[in-house]
Amino acid sequence: MTFRAVVFVSLCVSIGAAWIIESGAADVFLEATRPDFRKIPLGIAGIENMSGSESPEGRVKLGTRIEDVLKADVRRSLVFALVDLPSLGIKVSHLGVEPDASFKQAAENGVSVIVWGKAGIKSGSKDADLSMDGYVYDVGSNEIVGGKRYIGSTSVARLMAHRFADELVFRYTGEPGIARTKIAYVSELGTARELFVMDYDGYDPRQLTADGFLNLMPRWSPDRRFLVFTTYRNRNTQDIDMIELATGKRWTLVAQGGLNITPVLSPDGNSLAYASSHEGNAELYRLDTHTKAVKRLTTHAAGDLSPSWSPSGRELAFTSDRSGGPQIFLMSADGSNVRRLTFDGDYNAAPAWSPRGNWIAYVCRTPKKEYKLCVITPDGQKHLQLTTGLGVDDSPSWSPDGRHLVFSSTVDGKSQIYMINVDGKDLERITFTGTHNSAPSWSPAS
Amino acid sequence: MKTLPAGYLPLILGVIILGIPACSKKAVRSGGDSQALQEEMARGEMAKGGATKEGTNSSFPDTSFSGREDSNSLRGLDRNPSEERLGGNAANAGTPGGGHTNALIAKADSGAAARQLAEIRAEQVASVAAGLRDVFFTYDSFSITDEGRHALSGNAEWARSNSYAQLKIEGHCDERGTSAYNLVLGEKRAKAVRNYLVELGMAPTHLSVVSYGKERPFCTEHTESCYSQNRRGHLVVKTGK
Repeated sequence: MTFRAVVFVSLCVSIGAAWIIESGAADVFLEATRPDFRKIPLGIAGIENMSGSESPEGRVKLGTRIEDVLKADVRRSLVFALVDLPSLGIKVSHLGVEPDASFKQAAENGVSVIVWGKAGIKSGSKDADLSMDGYVYDVGSNEIVGGKRYIGSTSVARLMAHRFADELVFRYTGEPGIARTKIAYVSELGTARELFVMDYDGYDPRQLTADGFLNLMPRWSPDRRFLVFTTYRNRNTQDIDMIELATGKRWTLVAQGGLNITPVLSPDGNSLAYASSHEGNAELYRLDTHTKAVKRLTTHAAGDLSPSWSPSGRELAFTSDRSGGPQIFLMSADGSNVRRLTFDGDYNAAPAWSPRGNWIAYVCRTPKKEYKLCVITPDGQKHLQLTTGLGVDDSPSWSPDGRHLVFSSTVDGKSQIYMINVDGKDLERITFTGTHNSAPSWSPAS
Repeated sequence: MKTLPAGYLPLILGVIILGIPACSKKAVRSGGDSQALQEEMARGEMAKGGATKEGTNSSFPDTSFSGREDSNSLRGLDRNPSEERLGGNAANAGTPGGGHTNALIAKADSGAAARQLAEIRAEQVASVAAGLRDVFFTYDSFSITDEGRHALSGNAEWARSNSYAQLKIEGHCDERGTSAYNLVLGEKRAKAVRNYLVELGMAPTHLSVVSYGKERPFCTEHTESCYSQNRRGHLVVKTGK
């Protein structure tokens, strides 16, 4: 866990956000997963609908749409507590770029940040561009600390809200936020399973492959340009492929025969860890992405699979059934120092190491034989079950801020994709269509 | 959300250690050789992706990451904000602020799905005509039952009188458990079937295995009768490549 320049939010609020401004927001590191963390109360006073804000795609006006997306992003950031200003009797109207008298009232009610803005079709624009302005008032420093002005087609209205939300998180934590992140996943089309990418909130799904058979378990490259995944070449052999998101161009990275599954690039992008059975049974290998040299990491008659890198890239968590049923093991990135991590239950698999390093999420089989999400600390000292009830949960993947997990579950019948906070709260379904959505992978932040 | 007291750990550890001998038969290497598949690879599949003889590609783009900022990076709040143009679709791919993850492609080769379906149908027709029988497994197991041995004897009989036929053995699993671990279990099932067919006298070069894990279920209900349909070694007459 990192402890560089930790600044408590309460400190920011009471001593004043002016300190943040002077020292440069990017230097401030805020650990919102700390137990003593308190969310920053933030009120959204509205994104006013300007002229031409009638949405071409629906009845809801563009400003209102942006405001709804912004509210959801702020809530999911877990950095801010969204305050409902009208319920406090605070009415903000016709805001310009000057502090409003109602701000004082908001401050007395404990609100730390007030956000407002306006959106409409830019006047005089020959391309009918959507324009959105957003402003941020900080109670601690009693001033408007800044704003943003976004221009783009109406198709990027949601992106404007996402980007503004990430600027807010960046301002108050020094971290980029997750509102512009993406989730890669597998979706069923007829009898085929293809790769898709959607926004982190489930909107704007885009199909990446159309092979007509099976593409499985995509994982992002650390620079977000590529996905690595398992593909069935002519249905009979499994290869590991890489696809470039911008172009759809593909390369085969591993084609060895046998199983070739669960590929994942290291945090520095210099190594690809994967499981292959080309020498008999499933073992872990590491491909150097520069020299193309392959190093075998495990040698065991049992199956080894599902490698997950620690954020430092020095260690790997993986699944192995060397002690009977599958369990989570850890080892150094060179294959040495193998030790078992999970001892609770007879089926623990699909480990995912948090980008903060402090947790490893995995699928655990409960005494009732249900497959649920669990998390464990890398020293094995603490473990928690995050989900309960019916359905098979699978493929946990962390948000880049380490505060959320995305996973697939059959809790509602068909396999769909859900997100949940690391404390087990705010379970949210994010896919609603199709017969099967699975294997989500959360992109790094930008 | 539940936490088990740390005091349970030694107890759990003890139970698991006692349990290991009973489970260790599972760890026995399942079907050691993968010759058939390797030979199949050698027939030129790898050349398609520019892969080397070792089975890994010699040229693909640099994936190393130095953490440097890109066009998608945040620019911070401004007291006098200047216009920031956002692009969100392929048409705006080159626009500043657009960035690569927004510029996703749509569909690739749309004829691929139709070709795959036609090939799958041809295999199904040939397999039905041959009267091949599948093998079913119990939960979490890759041991072949007496019923399974009986089915495989019939299949081996057919193979003896059709000595040029290439058989593909697909390993399938029910939906319980993780996608990744079921691919490993599916391979164990397929190899168990292959090994038994070799014991019955079939040539390993006429048999190939592939695991579909829980990704191509025969039945999609969440019931035991459906699960038992999906835990199978499915035998297919290879008609194409």
